[in-house]
Amino acid sequence: MNWLTKTFTSSIGKKLLMAVTGLSFCAFLTAHLIGNLTLYAGRDAFNSYAEHLHSLGPLITVAETGLLFFGIIHVVTGLFLFFQNIAARPARYEVNKNAGGRTIGSVTMPYTGLILIAFITLHLINFHFIDKSGSTIFQIVQDAFTKPAYIVIYVLAVITAAFHVSHGFWSAFQTLGVNHPKYMPFIRTAGIAFSLIIGLGFGFIPIFISITT
Amino acid sequence: MRLDAKIPAGPVAEKWDLHRFGLKLVNPANKRKYEIIVVGTGLAGGSASASLAELGYNVKTFCIQDSPRRAHSIAAQGGINASKNYQNDGDSDWRLFYDTVKGGDFRAREANVYRLAQLSGNIIDQCVAQGVPFAREYGGQLANRSFGGAQVSRTFYARGQTGQQLLLGAYSALSRQIAAGKVKMYPRREMLDVVVIDGQAGGIVARNLVTGEIEKYSADAVVLATGGYANVFFLSTNAMASNVTATYRAYKRGAFFANPCFTQIHPTCIPVHGTYQSKLTLMSESLRNDGRVWVPKKPGDKRSPSQIPESERDYYLENKYPSFGNLVPRDVASRNAKEQCDLGKGVGETGLAVYLDFADAINRDGRDVITKKYGNLFQMYEKITAENPYETPMMIYPAVHYTMGGLWVDYNLMSTIDGLFVLGEANFSDHGANRLGASALMQGLADGYFIIPYTIGGYLAANTKKQVSTDHPAFKESADRIESGVKRLLSIKGKRTADDFHRQLGNIMWEYCGMSRNDEDLIKARKLIRDLRGEFWENVLVPGSDKDFNQSLEKAGRVADFLEFGELMVIDALARRESCGGHFNEGYQTEENEARRDDENFCHVSAWEYKGEGKDPELNKEQLAFENVKLTQRSYK
Amino acid sequence: MTKTLNLTLKVWRQNGPDSMGRLETYNAGDISTDMSFLEMIDVINEQLTIEGKEPIAFDHDCREGICGMCGTVVNGRPHGPEKGTTLCQLHMRHFSDGDTIVIEPWRSRAFKIIKDLVVDRGALDKIIQAGGYVSVNTGGAPDANAIPISQDTAEKAMDAAACIGCGACVAACPNASAMLFTSAKISQLALLPQGRPEAATRAIAMVRAMDELGFGNCTNERECEAECPKEISIVNIARMNREFFKAAFFSEVK
Repeated sequence: MNWLTKTFTSSIGKKLLMAVTGLSFCAFLTAHLIGNLTLYAGRDAFNSYAEHLHSLGPLITVAETGLLFFGIIHVVTGLFLFFQNIAARPARYEVNKNAGGRTIGSVTMPYTGLILIAFITLHLINFHFIDKSGSTIFQIVQDAFTKPAYIVIYVLAVITAAFHVSHGFWSAFQTLGVNHPKYMPFIRTAGIAFSLIIGLGFGFIPIFISITT
Repeated sequence: MRLDAKIPAGPVAEKWDLHRFGLKLVNPANKRKYEIIVVGTGLAGGSASASLAELGYNVKTFCIQDSPRRAHSIAAQGGINASKNYQNDGDSDWRLFYDTVKGGDFRAREANVYRLAQLSGNIIDQCVAQGVPFAREYGGQLANRSFGGAQVSRTFYARGQTGQQLLLGAYSALSRQIAAGKVKMYPRREMLDVVVIDGQAGGIVARNLVTGEIEKYSADAVVLATGGYANVFFLSTNAMASNVTATYRAYKRGAFFANPCFTQIHPTCIPVHGTYQSKLTLMSESLRNDGRVWVPKKPGDKRSPSQIPESERDYYLENKYPSFGNLVPRDVASRNAKEQCDLGKGVGETGLAVYLDFADAINRDGRDVITKKYGNLFQMYEKITAENPYETPMMIYPAVHYTMGGLWVDYNLMSTIDGLFVLGEANFSDHGANRLGASALMQGLADGYFIIPYTIGGYLAANTKKQVSTDHPAFKESADRIESGVKRLLSIKGKRTADDFHRQLGNIMWEYCGMSRNDEDLIKARKLIRDLRGEFWENVLVPGSDKDFNQSLEKAGRVADFLEFGELMVIDALARRESCGGHFNEGYQTEENEARRDDENFCHVSAWEYKGEGKDPELNKEQLAFENVKLTQRSYK
Repeated sequence: MTKTLNLTLKVWRQNGPDSMGRLETYNAGDISTDMSFLEMIDVINEQLTIEGKEPIAFDHDCREGICGMCGTVVNGRPHGPEKGTTLCQLHMRHFSDGDTIVIEPWRSRAFKIIKDLVVDRGALDKIIQAGGYVSVNTGGAPDANAIPISQDTAEKAMDAAACIGCGACVAACPNASAMLFTSAKISQLALLPQGRPEAATRAIAMVRAMDELGFGNCTNERECEAECPKEISIVNIARMNREFFKAAFFSEVK
């Protein structure tokens, strides 16, 4: 193995991969949320946002490929970590108790992660790989959220994402070595705030659409 | 046998330099042909293993714990002395030398102590280079504090964990040599015998504490650094595994045991609170800088301390020693606490404690200042006793803490067995009859880093290299003897556990050979120990099997040795017909109840020679010559 | 005030590394609240021995919280429920009459069980052997005051150096990771000027050794710092990560 593979297959290297890809998903989520907020402004605003986005052409393809690539890294590395960590403790404790370090977000990380993969697949099928000829994107969104099952799935998925991010956000900074007595409290608060914004921002969209339709 | 300490000629300040020049050297290429065994990985053993391996010797290192990092040196709190004179307060090698000889009540060897003072500065340099995080001043220079009644600030420290940090420094150097393949580390091994071939140490036999196998290891020289024997008292501040077995078995093979009755009782420990208690905890001596020691004036006064008015309190140290007050040396403070308790003035549930009161200090300096100085100690006290020392006075009582006695060694740290070297607390040491604070760490590291690397070379170079192998019949003889000893312990199947015997032995030692002694008690103690030993070999119950991880068996073996060694201590105490330092015989005291030395008849090291099972040991004397320090009576009035 | 407790203990008993283990139940009667946890086990062992049974094997030595030898998981918590406390300094007054206490060994692939509650923590020594030292031979060290070190730096180094190597961080980590242990040593030596020359080789070597020994990966669960008896902070893990990245990407060490 050369130094690069050695670095990225080490425990800290894997953490680095998780942190960098994870943070870029946070950035993506931010952009995605800002774009989606146009939904609250009504059909035209949202459609024109979508149009503008698609007019970027190859840039979009690059971004999509990048996200896919990062997604694969995040998921594959995450699975490696998950199974390696199980293997690191072959005999489990009879009694498990938390000393106050773990949070719901951190305990459920691998599971929320798997739920999110399933959800993202569904989400892409719903809105990305769907035949868009003959209807606007707003129409598609509106159609989807008339079904109560979809609303429930989306809201739950967004809550899942919020939990995932509640640990992932500050954790990425810690992994990158950004732990400073002055800034760490701020980063931790920012992580919670970010997960709330993601949860509320995305979570209200299906509810809003179904109410206004 | 006449003991030759091999003290080099010349002025005391030049002896070490001249001696090093006189020592033969082992050619660097030849060093790798030598095998050296080091037993113990405390400050002395750890530093010796690393330093010898760095020189090129092949070292086999043994420790009783699961890792060399856990030796009991780790528990030293206060600090380490060095005559750096960084504080510009008049310290020097001469002053450290003088303080140590005087503090030891003039029963240490001048040449060794001077060498110790000379090397003290190098130790600090070495430890800093290893990354030991000593306390620093704001300007980045090393901080010092005064300690143990010294009039200069020469103590270097790393919070209250100096021993830990120094040990981890030595451990890191050792780890580096293990990684380099120069040290082969054998953890969880207990040395049970020294193998002597043609009068020279040729190896050891040890028990693998995991598998129970009896293992043989050969070497060109053996270094023992196995610590002190304070656990003969059962309750002491020593770790549970600390024991006398290694040095006692070496004694049985011909190494003389020197001054076994010199034991140090530390005045500020947390009192005993129940019969199940396994261990005593030391509170740093620094507490006496601000705390006032008192007991109720009226014997049997069971009121809570807050209800006892000032006029009914006896600040006995301040009253008795107006100039030193609460800061008298360890032996004096301890003896006085016992005296008060014997008068029925002791406090607490057991009546075996005195108060150490911080109320005045808190009123004078404010709680914050006291917290800053002693916060961690107060916290530790509260953790153990569930009492808050800011509000109620602490209760303290003396406890056995360190043993100045040990295997006799010459100036080269070699015992009376050729090729068997003894370092640190395990040797009879440079502390005489009483050790000063912050000097145990200094001695352990001086021995390991800076003395043994030279003197062992001198020994090896002066002797023709022999082919040592564990096939030699002496190894088999030793291993067989150990095997049968183990089998014997397991076969008794009596009714009492080894711990039970140990506790009873501890009571005897503490009662009759503890803080103060008298001939009548000592004679009584000797009989009691013999009887107990007799009962042990008929009634001990050791569960489990020999070829297994068996902590009860380990313990039983150690207690068996303590049961023999305790008698040796008593014999030594009886033979030393004077009071000095840690040995206080009530028959020899001044009118003011202070220790009265007899320099005319007892200015010597008592080195005991094993004469065989059931026979009394023979006393050999090494006369101590004081050419640089004038013998005076210690007075702290 | 001293009281006595009656407790039910469920203790992990296992004859050897490859044997099957199981929890066995013992009644601990008349346990004084002044006893330490280990003294309580001493009392049980004394009883077991007298009854002709094998006592419980457990590691312990200094019994004052500094050697790092003791440690078991008590009701799911390494070193028991008190913060910043080793098992030997945990007193029975923190338990109530009638409590059931489950006592288990440290559990990690890297720590094989030797017997009952005794595990082999040799892996931690191997991590130190990989680089947890300054390569300086005895002798020839410059004067101790030759390199000033700011008080703040010395204190931070001491915070990290306070590690007692007990392995509670590994036992507490949901992933059985040894990151806190490793980072404490890397941090201490990275902070001090004496450790800087080897900082890059050390960070890489120690992290690799840690990985090879079978410890899990860190997922920033913070259980280690919550359970560490010396309250060593995960700030040290962040510092180790920085040291590792610097070494991996910017030094010439491969």
